[in-house]
Amino acid sequence: MNEITNDEIKCERALEDLHNVMDPEIGLNVVDLGLIYQLDFDDTDKKLYCTMTLTTQFCPMGESIQSGVTNSLEQTFPDYAANVKVIFDPPWSAEKISPEGRDYLNY
Amino acid sequence: MFPSSPTAGLAQNTSYKVVLPFYIYGALSFLIATILLLFSSSALVQHYFHPQTLAITHAMALGWGTMMILGASHQLVPVLIEGKLYSDALAYLSFLSAAIGIPLLVYGFYHFYFGWEAQWGAILINAAIVFYLINIAVSMIKSKKENVHAVFVFTATLWLLITIIVGLFLVFNFTHNILSQDSLHYLPLHAHLGIIGWFLLLVLGVASRLIPLFLISKYHNVKILWWIYGLVNFGLISFIVIFLYIGKSWLYFFPLSAILISIIMFGFFCKKAYLDRLRKKVDDQLKISLFSVLMMLLPLLVLLIIILMMLFSVDDPKLILTYGFCIFFGWITAIIFGMTFKTLPFILWNKAYHDKAGMGKTPNPRELFNNKIFQIMSVFYLAGFILLIAGILISNTFILKFAALLLVVTAFLYNTNVFKMIMHKPKKI
Repeated sequence: MNEITNDEIKCERALEDLHNVMDPEIGLNVVDLGLIYQLDFDDTDKKLYCTMTLTTQFCPMGESIQSGVTNSLEQTFPDYAANVKVIFDPPWSAEKISPEGRDYLNY
Repeated sequence: MFPSSPTAGLAQNTSYKVVLPFYIYGALSFLIATILLLFSSSALVQHYFHPQTLAITHAMALGWGTMMILGASHQLVPVLIEGKLYSDALAYLSFLSAAIGIPLLVYGFYHFYFGWEAQWGAILINAAIVFYLINIAVSMIKSKKENVHAVFVFTATLWLLITIIVGLFLVFNFTHNILSQDSLHYLPLHAHLGIIGWFLLLVLGVASRLIPLFLISKYHNVKILWWIYGLVNFGLISFIVIFLYIGKSWLYFFPLSAILISIIMFGFFCKKAYLDRLRKKVDDQLKISLFSVLMMLLPLLVLLIIILMMLFSVDDPKLILTYGFCIFFGWITAIIFGMTFKTLPFILWNKAYHDKAGMGKTPNPRELFNNKIFQIMSVFYLAGFILLIAGILISNTFILKFAALLLVVTAFLYNTNVFKMIMHKPKKI
């Protein structure tokens, strides 16, 4: 079985670039919104697994946001194939927003 | 590592190719209806069963209100049921039938001639709604994730089907006397089936999902929504029974009260969602959508006066006209204005930037239209609507013509923004 790691340096690089993926309705990026739950790297098969959520299960932009995350990860790690999964358990809540995000939203 | 589908539980967008024709048709119908209003404004000082008034009302109810709502719901139903639209082909068929049928019917009303044009118009509109109903029903059955919002939409569509079947009978009744009374007698039944059963139920069902969604509010209260659903249906069914079998004017207070309570409860729902919102700054499009909730009360107030006058056997056609125009030019138009600029930018953004998302800076969906034009349009609209109602109430043709002119400008500005979005060319990333 391949070793799956969540290498800290790679995760930081990924998250830095994911700051450019926006939720177009809120106007805030997916990282500050707290939508990214987990990032894992399979260095043997060159696969990158991302687990994320959306602010609501009814989000009409869901597919685009998911595709934005996939594109961003594959751009940052061109040697890896990104596999992005959207989950709703645990559900997203406002507590997951970063302090920068709260400032932006005046929340 | 991921055993299930990475998109499980995620709504699958309907193709923009399915939705756009409805939006374009709706926008153009609104422009045509306001132009008809401008050239027929003198009809509004006469009885409400005037051919030109009937033509304008049907252009607004079917061409504008229904086509916009059909377009939006082909996009939103998959979101509500967390599934996908069953058939694009049925959606195209539905559009084509309605797109041909509506002008034929409006033409028939305008000339008060109920020959093959009006008859085929009514048949084609019925076919359009049957196609839509099958599409929505099969989508829901396949998704197996019905929720209160989807039940609102489905029930509203059933009421729409009943409305247009009654409408079909009324059209044929002009030439074949198939009903026991003339078509004018059944007009209140036909109108309320459409207004309460279709428009009100559908708007409440969809808005109760979209308003918290766009406010980024976590407030949700399924119990209150089921109460609203029950009250609206009780109000409509009791109205039908009283109208067809009892006929006592004072009894209409029961359906009126049920509808009034349901709207007050919906206002309470919106207020709670507003107070619980994550996004503190509310944009103009959402403001006008919330304002339209208040505008629902205006026709109800007029209806209350109409019922009170009926108790004293006083019949004022002006008030009935005011009631109808408050609904079509007031509440329904306001909510469509708000929701067009909350849904269409996302549909077109997805079309232009879906594959480019995350690869660089993309414009925000709300940058696809001009907010300044939206604000100017809102001012023209409010002034036009207020003057229109004033003109009807005091039977002044000059005010009516001026109001119609303001509404033509409103429709022109609305179309400008809609076509600006549609013509948007994706920027290079």
